[in-house]
Amino acid sequence: MTCDKYENALRLAAASNGELDAKLARHLERCSTCRTTLGSKRELLSRIDSALRAQMNEDPRPGFLAQLRLRLSKELTARPRSDRVWHVAGAALALVLIAMAYPLFEPLFNPLDNARRPIVQGNLQTPTIEVPQRAGLTQSARASEDLGVGPLHHPKRPAVQSAVPREPEVLVPPDEQKALAQFVACVARRDAIAQAVVRLAANKTVNMNAELPRVSSVDIADLQFGRERQEKWIHQTESSE
Amino acid sequence: MQEFTWPGRTAETELAFDLEKAAQRREFEQRLEECGTLAFRVARGVLRNAADAEDVAQEAILRSYRRFARLRDPSRFRAWLVRISFRLALDHGRSARRREQRETAWAVDLPKPTAEDIAVSNEFGRRLEEAMATLSEKSRLVLLLTSMDGHSLEEVAELLRVPVGTVKSRLHSARKQLAEKLR
Repeated sequence: MTCDKYENALRLAAASNGELDAKLARHLERCSTCRTTLGSKRELLSRIDSALRAQMNEDPRPGFLAQLRLRLSKELTARPRSDRVWHVAGAALALVLIAMAYPLFEPLFNPLDNARRPIVQGNLQTPTIEVPQRAGLTQSARASEDLGVGPLHHPKRPAVQSAVPREPEVLVPPDEQKALAQFVACVARRDAIAQAVVRLAANKTVNMNAELPRVSSVDIADLQFGRERQEKWIHQTESSE
Repeated sequence: MQEFTWPGRTAETELAFDLEKAAQRREFEQRLEECGTLAFRVARGVLRNAADAEDVAQEAILRSYRRFARLRDPSRFRAWLVRISFRLALDHGRSARRREQRETAWAVDLPKPTAEDIAVSNEFGRRLEEAMATLSEKSRLVLLLTSMDGHSLEEVAELLRVPVGTVKSRLHSARKQLAEKLR
């Protein structure tokens, strides 16, 4: 059919609403079908345009802007949401950082370490006596031995002993007071054992002017013990009592 | 109760902050009347319901207000608002359709509309809405904006930040598709 080749041109002509192509115009003069087709296409597009125009130029109801202003003023009086979000996020981040940093600063908060620190420092420069045998020790004494808590002091050095605070002031959290009490009791028992050993040595007529025997100094690393080891010691102490 | 302030934020900085906020609000309110209608019309073009369009327009304006201070170029505000309104209206339309599908799945068979009902509900308008829904978002937005009074092709191109030729081609394509669907 000859009209088929003008189909696209008719569509374009209907959509553009402008000047017709000369070839199409000549065809339309002769073909009434194509004239009708173009007319109906233009009418359809015109209906589409007018429907869209009616829809797109509708005004909102009169109270719309007033309601909008009201919502806007409510928004202004409310605390900005972004601030709230940042505050919550900041607090959460701080908690996470504290939780992460706690293990690093744990020794500062651990009362057992604090109680031990001055004794260790005081003994670093003094000669120490190694405990000769473990066989004669009681179970609780052996448990305290395993902890590697401070070396035994020579009884002939009272000056050093007095320089070291026997009962350092330590702030102990309530839930750790019992453990600290047990620790102190055990250390005291150990001192008694140490004194007994030294007393035995004194019976062997030691020349007081002679140089004191050289003994190895205390290794601080040995004195450190973790929570796991501490709990194990407490458990052993409790079971022995 | 005293309001919490971050360390370093003095009364002077608080005052400056409040003054800046008040200036922004004044500037925003100057645009409110024009922009409120624009947002409503864009939403109305996407949604069939004027009440839904009002809700969407209000939401779009509140969102744009919250981010107004962050807008680098205030002259781009209208284009920005058009985009927000259009996106929100599309989302609203989709969720409304989903809700409608859920509800009708449980509903009993409704009586079929009579010829009079169809005539009253403007059959052509309904079919036009359906045909519009099949268009691409870009073509649809161009068609809606060019249908608004006072929006020339150049202004629409400026709003959408595309060349005028692109607007023309999208408009032509959209009208052609609509005509074919409504034939």
